[in-house]
Amino acid sequence: MKEVAVLGVGQSVFGKLPHKSVADLGREAVSAAIEDAGIKPKDIQVAYTSRLYDSMVTSQTVLKEVGVTALEMFNVENACAGGSTAVRGVWKDIASGLYDVGIAVGVESMTTSPIAGKLIPPAKDDLEGQLGMTMPTLFALLARRQMEEHGATLEDFAQVSVKNHHHGCLNPMAQYKKEFTIEEVLNSRMICDPITLLQCCPNTDGAAAVIMCSMDIARRYTTNPVKVAASVLLSGDYTFRQTDITSSPLGTQAAKMAYEMAGLGPEDLDVVELHEAFAPEEILRYEDLGLCAPGEGVALLRSGATAVGGKIPVNPSGGLLSLGHPLSASGVRVVAEITLHLRGQAGQRQTPNAKVGLAHMLGGVVAGLEAGACGIHILSR
Amino acid sequence: MAEKIPFREGTFIEEAEGGRLVGNKCKSCGQIFFPQVQTCLNCFHKELEEIPLSRQGELYSYTKAYMPASRFQPPYTVGYVNLPEGVRVFAPLKEVEGQSFKVGLPMKLVIEELWRDGDKEVIGYKFTPA
Repeated sequence: MKEVAVLGVGQSVFGKLPHKSVADLGREAVSAAIEDAGIKPKDIQVAYTSRLYDSMVTSQTVLKEVGVTALEMFNVENACAGGSTAVRGVWKDIASGLYDVGIAVGVESMTTSPIAGKLIPPAKDDLEGQLGMTMPTLFALLARRQMEEHGATLEDFAQVSVKNHHHGCLNPMAQYKKEFTIEEVLNSRMICDPITLLQCCPNTDGAAAVIMCSMDIARRYTTNPVKVAASVLLSGDYTFRQTDITSSPLGTQAAKMAYEMAGLGPEDLDVVELHEAFAPEEILRYEDLGLCAPGEGVALLRSGATAVGGKIPVNPSGGLLSLGHPLSASGVRVVAEITLHLRGQAGQRQTPNAKVGLAHMLGGVVAGLEAGACGIHILSR
Repeated sequence: MAEKIPFREGTFIEEAEGGRLVGNKCKSCGQIFFPQVQTCLNCFHKELEEIPLSRQGELYSYTKAYMPASRFQPPYTVGYVNLPEGVRVFAPLKEVEGQSFKVGLPMKLVIEELWRDGDKEVIGYKFTPA
């Protein structure tokens, strides 16, 4: 397998932008990535684009806006992990030597989708979906077990939101740049108890793009390339094998595979971007990724270590809660964010001396499975 | 009199006192599945026997939702119930006045209307405090 580098990254502004088409959103992200990479549009040899709602040939729709046509294009979906899937696809093609330069794009227009303003449901004919299962429901059921098993409190859950909204204030691309107090988070409208509105990711429209290339090509453009040290995409196993729902076999296994590929451990990470569509969930992700021992996520949060300025900043971008969550874009956006930190380009939210970062995304609710998919990329410089 | 149809075939049977969920059990490894499966997902054995599951279980988790989902208008409560056969079931929960839900609460299965579809009564399973 060849070494793969991240050459260019870009994202659109995130927000409620129903007047912007998917082509518009995608173009913003792709143009920014092409300019950031310093390549010409025609240098792109392969493209993977992810989009969940109402999609058809999204790669083609977006890339025609920047003069990129007539090459191998894929359109992929894995719910909220779709973006990671696109990144994984490009990585595979370059690592295997099929192509030298590729682009991964993720785009979502939530405000114009069929589920705008609604709770995200599983697929139409899903058994549990018929009985009332939705994304926030799943995480609310988990949150109650976190309270039961790990001693997590409502204030702990609210603290994740406070932390990530504070980070959002440091990010010019964020949908929400507003500070909140724990009281404000807890007193916001109840969605699925104990999850309140300010503990839920918003409806967000946006796009992100990452251009990757083989390491030898990267060295023509930069003396200090960002290396993709690990790329993992894994699907969920049966719930009949999962006794404790707060412990994620999917996340733990994906992380283990990523650390093995990269030849390092969680203690080597300087910065992390992960899936926290609902505030309580972030605490469990610390445990999957081995940032702390199982059951110790609450203690890690309370220590302040996962805030910007702390020992292991998590979601310095503002995360899904504050930067926003255009579903299929997020998996690409987290890779872009980690890249910025490694290059020292993350502005006010910069992690000092960041050398190794991990980008995680999770997606998909299916009756009988723990989750749909988990994508993890580790970048180093 | 409205026609009653199950929300999904083969998942439950009605009895005089409520009802039971129906799963199946692998004749080789003994793994029990709900809902029923065609082939054992654990050992791939092709023979399974249908088994009615216990009517009572323990509440593993619950949440009250305040926004619509599927055909349910808020507020409605859903949860996971652990049955003694080692099966965890997601289902709507039926509240009983004066009894709040808590983890570990003994629950029993009831069969009742989930929603209306035109003039049809769509029925299914819920759990309620035992």
